[in-house]
Amino acid sequence: MAVERILKDEASEEKGDRARMASFVGAMAISDLVKTTLGPKGMDKILQSTGRGRSVTVTNDGATILKSLPIDNPAAKVLVDISKVQDDEVGDGTTSVVVLAGELLREAEKLIAMKIHPMTIISGYRMASECARDALLNKVVDNKDDAEKFRSDLMKIAMTTLSSKILSQDKEHFGKLAVDAVMRLKGSTNLEAIQIIKKPGGSLRDSFLDEGFILDKKIGIGQPKRIENAKILVANTAMDTDKVKIYGARVRVDSMTRVAEIEAAEKEKMREKVNKIIAHGINCFVNRQLIYNFPEELFADAGILAIEHADFDGIERLALVTGGEIASTFDNPESVKLGHCKLIEEIMIGEDKLIHFSGVAMGQACTIVLRGASDHVLDEAERSLHDALCVLSQTVNDSRVLLGGGWPEIVMAKDVDELARKTPGKKSHAIEAFSRALQAIPTIIADNAGLDSAELISQLRAEHHKEGSTSGIDVISGTVGDMAVLGIAESFKVKQAILLSATEAAEMILRVDEIIKSAPRKREDRM
Amino acid sequence: MAAPIVQAPRASSKTETFVDNKRKEDIRQQNIVSACTVADAVRTSLGPKGMDKMIQTASGEVIITNDGATILNKMEVLQPAAKMVVELSKSQDIVAGDGTTTVVVICGALLKQCLSLINHGIHPTVISDAIHKMAVRAVDILTAMAVPVELSDRDSLVKSASTSLNSKVVSQYSTLLAPLAVDAVLSVVDPENPHMVDLRDIKIVKKLGGTVDDTEMVKGLVFDKKVSHSAGGPTRMENAKIAVIQFQISPPKTDIEQSIVISDYTQMDRILKEERNYILGMIKKIKATGCNVLLIQKSILRDAVTDLSLHYLAKAKILVIKDVERDDIEFITKTLNCLPIANIEHFRAEKLGHADLVEEVSIGEVKIAKITGIKDMGRTATVLVRGSNQLVLDEAERSLHDALCVVRCLVNKRFLIAGGGAPEIELSRQLAVWAKVLHGMESYCVKSFADALEVIPYTLAENAGLNPIAIVTELRNRHAHGEVNAGINVRKGQITNILEENVVQPLLVSTSAITLAAECVRMILKIDDIVIVR
Repeated sequence: MAVERILKDEASEEKGDRARMASFVGAMAISDLVKTTLGPKGMDKILQSTGRGRSVTVTNDGATILKSLPIDNPAAKVLVDISKVQDDEVGDGTTSVVVLAGELLREAEKLIAMKIHPMTIISGYRMASECARDALLNKVVDNKDDAEKFRSDLMKIAMTTLSSKILSQDKEHFGKLAVDAVMRLKGSTNLEAIQIIKKPGGSLRDSFLDEGFILDKKIGIGQPKRIENAKILVANTAMDTDKVKIYGARVRVDSMTRVAEIEAAEKEKMREKVNKIIAHGINCFVNRQLIYNFPEELFADAGILAIEHADFDGIERLALVTGGEIASTFDNPESVKLGHCKLIEEIMIGEDKLIHFSGVAMGQACTIVLRGASDHVLDEAERSLHDALCVLSQTVNDSRVLLGGGWPEIVMAKDVDELARKTPGKKSHAIEAFSRALQAIPTIIADNAGLDSAELISQLRAEHHKEGSTSGIDVISGTVGDMAVLGIAESFKVKQAILLSATEAAEMILRVDEIIKSAPRKREDRM
Repeated sequence: MAAPIVQAPRASSKTETFVDNKRKEDIRQQNIVSACTVADAVRTSLGPKGMDKMIQTASGEVIITNDGATILNKMEVLQPAAKMVVELSKSQDIVAGDGTTTVVVICGALLKQCLSLINHGIHPTVISDAIHKMAVRAVDILTAMAVPVELSDRDSLVKSASTSLNSKVVSQYSTLLAPLAVDAVLSVVDPENPHMVDLRDIKIVKKLGGTVDDTEMVKGLVFDKKVSHSAGGPTRMENAKIAVIQFQISPPKTDIEQSIVISDYTQMDRILKEERNYILGMIKKIKATGCNVLLIQKSILRDAVTDLSLHYLAKAKILVIKDVERDDIEFITKTLNCLPIANIEHFRAEKLGHADLVEEVSIGEVKIAKITGIKDMGRTATVLVRGSNQLVLDEAERSLHDALCVVRCLVNKRFLIAGGGAPEIELSRQLAVWAKVLHGMESYCVKSFADALEVIPYTLAENAGLNPIAIVTELRNRHAHGEVNAGINVRKGQITNILEENVVQPLLVSTSAITLAAECVRMILKIDDIVIVR
């Protein structure tokens, strides 16, 4: 043989059918893993970490599950990535996108077995997804101009999103929380301004929305516990000692009094710094680092509320919502932007004391305090609420709304079927397959709820044969119901993102005909 | 052509879901079984005649306790579902402070029922919904049963505290500890904000020696350390003026590295003298304000006090308590109604706290420092717990904590409910009646949960060595005849009106036990897979 080895020792190469098979199997395994979490009766998963502490997470969120999986299969990685992108872009539908991509590949596998060229399948899928999108566009409802209706749309979307999560029992309560929070944002998608604080104890229903900002810290000793019309300086500076940062700097003296003088000088430096800070005309000082006893007392003497050791996230947000800047030098009081708020006070949630900033400069800021039985519940509740908030904030910008409960999939499938009939050639098989993949989503939802999916889907299809039908699967009663009446709605933007990125991912995986694995990089011997 | 294609996916997907289902069932079963195992482990410690557990920790330390939360905390379970049960007991500890065993036992009983319901082929989400409905309904029923209580009604408060204490190791001391817990909580209730009690305002100081009988509540402060008398300083001070200082009375030390260069021996003398003068100067300033008691915060950077400074302080007739933790400063200043002083320059008379007496008391072998008769004392309380050995001492502290929590619950939500299994059996009865009105699966589920709640009276009776079946059936009978407050009187071994027996507990404990257990069960039910991740 002329060419013995092209690749390095440990690199491997898989070709043609084998490569395609490996991608299909990997992608389908991933989609099968998350598909039981789909829909209002979807199940949760325990994620058990093998790392230190063997921490346990209970979740229903596709993105969270996929993110934490250790994956070796390249095709599976593509699916994990689209789920991540979906999470970043629209925040919800992270499971649906993976399931749809998985179903598309499942169908493609069969077509390839029928000796249809992958490129033909791809072009069929492209036409189908184009057609499906148009079908949705034709059916969207936009209530942007009618504030009342728009709000009820948002409420419906929030409740639909939440109904598949842990919060499903209290979805009205949380739906209202989420809608209120998002409406405060007035169209901005900056979810930073919505702070979520988790406090164990109480039940989920005790969660509430509070305007303003809550910082989980304590006020220093002997300082005012309540300040009106607060001027806040947010800082990141060392309030222990200004050490001379020259390596090995040391002082040589010849007597004890001199040492005392130096110490006094150090104290004096601190006092000067504190005085400079006070000279900003503030009455609240928040520092990211520790504030030692000495400056704490100085602040207390000046009647200034000083909060030490606020974590990084906390001060950045605080600076954002109060409209201040994070300062680290204090020589020019004029150039530092101070934060403002109407009232700072200490409140008690559960057993803990927290500091509440109300009437903040950034009016849209608010805090959602979550209560729940355990940390697992709280973490999952936070993820669910985050999904709802993302979807809502997207919907505020793009107010087109669709019905839910499998309605969009059937609408799309119907138009795609139509297209398949009109299209000559092998492509029509691919288009037909696309429609089947779409219908798989309501099938899975019904299966998860323990319903007779074959029966339900066929009924649903028959319903949709009529023009302008609003039927979908009513999982609660286990029948075909009117989605408009049940108030189940979804955001158009989410559906569109699911459709397009699932198709793209499937296309990408289909195009693969060879997988080359590079040799793993050798660790240097640490001898 | 099209037909077989349609057929193919159906067939394949069918077999797949079948295989998947098999695994899911296993996982759910496994979760439920392991959660039940945890619940069974603490079951025997329920009730006044419940048994204790001895736990040997990894570090070889031995703990004897009856407190569900503590037992579970030390069990170090690994199975995720079992872990959730441990968390559940922790949450109950946070919310109500008591009933940590009850909540786990209820959770276990509900899960057992769920297992049989699932085996009947009922979908877990349906069961989960039914549990939620049941919990909401149960809270209503309990609230209807409850008796309002006023904070001025000290007797009722003491009764509920002693119910909680009766199931502990220290039960024979409940007559002493219960009023103590009530007084401690009532003394920290802020009249402006009467629904909030911060248990951090109650400090529990443990000291080995004596018996639990010697436990007392101190109006003032207790330090678990000796007054410093290495240099013969005073150990008793009347009309004390107390300063809490956060600086050090020792030779100066700069943050910059420093060294004193001595070139000849005469300088040595000078430096020693200077050091003395420096400290003397500080102490003079302190003395000038009239201060005669110093509480000195622990310092890691340098010595808080040196022998030399102690000597001068003793000369100046100042009583010194050193090594006060920084975390305690807030509590101390709140109690003494003074401000901490972080620099000698700020040492002013108005920052001092005043008390009638600061003294060192010796109890048996050990000595503690006490501050009593504090002027304008803040709303705090200190409880000095004694015990003949470390195990009893620790358990006494935990029991006292539970009792304090019980009283706090009553301050938060001023309702009492009967104990001795009465609320549970009543719940079980009323839910069974309600189940008959419901339709479909829900009715079936609620019926079995109603049965599950009988586990509490059953276990109570069982642990007390009574015949559980006879007791539970008689209890059911009495409740059916409208005796809402009939419960198990463990002491007499029969059914009596439990309210008359003064066995009462706060409503909050019962309601939160039900709601938290329900939430936990629902969570476990919804899990169908365990994924191992990084």
